[in-house]
Amino acid sequence: METTVIPKSSAVFKTLVRADMATLFSNRRSVVISLLVPLIILVSWKPLVKVMGGPFALSTAITIGLMAIGLMGYTLSVSRDRDKGIFQRLRVAPVPTWAIMSSRIFIQLVMIMVLTLLVFIVGYQYDKITLSTEGYLLTFGVAILGGAVYLSLGQLIVGLIKTAETINAVTRLTYFLFIMVGMFGEMGTLGPQVKEGVHWSPYGSVKLMLAASMEPAKWTHDTTITVWVCLGYIIVFAGIGIKKFKWNSK
Amino acid sequence: MTADPDKYILKVDGLGVTYGDFVAVKDVGFNVLQGEIFGLLGPNGAGKTSTLSAIEGLLKFKQGTIIVDGQDVQQKPLYAKASMGVQLQSTSFQPELNVVQILQLFSGIYGVPKNKDEIKEMLKDIKLEDHAHKKFGQLSGGQQQRVSLVIATIHNPKLVLLDEPTTGLDPQSRRQLWERIEAIKAKGHAVLLTTHSMEEAEAVCDRIAIIDHGRVIAIDTPQALVDKHRDDPEVIAVSRRGKITLEDVFIGLTGTAVRD
Repeated sequence: METTVIPKSSAVFKTLVRADMATLFSNRRSVVISLLVPLIILVSWKPLVKVMGGPFALSTAITIGLMAIGLMGYTLSVSRDRDKGIFQRLRVAPVPTWAIMSSRIFIQLVMIMVLTLLVFIVGYQYDKITLSTEGYLLTFGVAILGGAVYLSLGQLIVGLIKTAETINAVTRLTYFLFIMVGMFGEMGTLGPQVKEGVHWSPYGSVKLMLAASMEPAKWTHDTTITVWVCLGYIIVFAGIGIKKFKWNSK
Repeated sequence: MTADPDKYILKVDGLGVTYGDFVAVKDVGFNVLQGEIFGLLGPNGAGKTSTLSAIEGLLKFKQGTIIVDGQDVQQKPLYAKASMGVQLQSTSFQPELNVVQILQLFSGIYGVPKNKDEIKEMLKDIKLEDHAHKKFGQLSGGQQQRVSLVIATIHNPKLVLLDEPTTGLDPQSRRQLWERIEAIKAKGHAVLLTTHSMEEAEAVCDRIAIIDHGRVIAIDTPQALVDKHRDDPEVIAVSRRGKITLEDVFIGLTGTAVRD
């Protein structure tokens, strides 16, 4: 009897990444738009940089970009592919399910790196914001952790909601709420209780962590607690999102 | 190639599928032999899709076993999947990818990567060499089915599963697809297909199983089923032109009520 050979996981993963990259490249207009939002905020906040400081502006821009990537990019692509039966077609092939999702997440991580780099470049070119070498390196690492918070939130949404239309509406609403309540809430405009709530929310935690990573000397015990809070968000959101996730929307 | 009765590629035994309290499939069993085209027929909601999904590894089942080329689909799912090629009912590929990119993706994940020349040759074989850089959604229904079929056989699998492959095709495309399915059989592959077309079942299937209310109610060659049931009162009652057809037998066995 002939022995059945299954393809190597690494080769399968590489093939999936290549296809997901080609898909991302085809959708480059929407990618550019999602990257433009944080950059526009960074540019339009030029007068605030002198008052609030460079790390404040950069961390806000990166946080908003991470939200766009996690909530809009990942969530919408997963819900659409589930709705169209693309996942089912991949699942009948000898592909481990982890490889299908890991490839998607890998693409989003690449997007996070590109976003962070772009924010640094625009921040320097336009606002002359510079960080120490440790600051740049630490921010890249923390941006990945922050991105994981929003990717896991996206996973929670696609895990709990099945239809692509509802997911689309919920992610847009969540994105809008985080930006509006987050930005105004942290400035205290919406009252002290909202300010406290925003501080520990996914928006506030990620932003605080990013701002601290840009100035490692100012890293405090409060920042370390925020890192643990973010890890908690990731475990809870991703845990529920993966457990409840269905590969088929029917 | 003639089917070898001693060499089964697919063995379904005592399969049971439930969704909550609803029993979709109960004690279903059949074998598909090497070099055989086997048809799974049944009204809507009879349990065809659940049976096929269980074979494809898309759903977990608690009762029965499914063996594909010696591999248990629940114990060794990746090995079983590597032995089968699948064409799903509603074939969906990433709409952003063109035909070449789709072929590169699936040849890669089945572990048989193809270079540009090989892909060109494959497209020439299905008469789509001029559509290489078209998106899948830009192809006609017949062209899409040809691409799906070539993907289902890209890794030379022992078993090919085709879920209603000719639905929505014009007669020319349907005939062409039948020829392609018969060519797959001629290469020694086993084919399991589901269809609502009795004409298709008679034209291409060596044996068929009729499934209803989650159970297999008949298995045989199309002609043997007609011969066996031609005198059944239920079959004669639904016969339209005096001559008993496979469709008469099918309706006689499964009833005249329309299923949703």
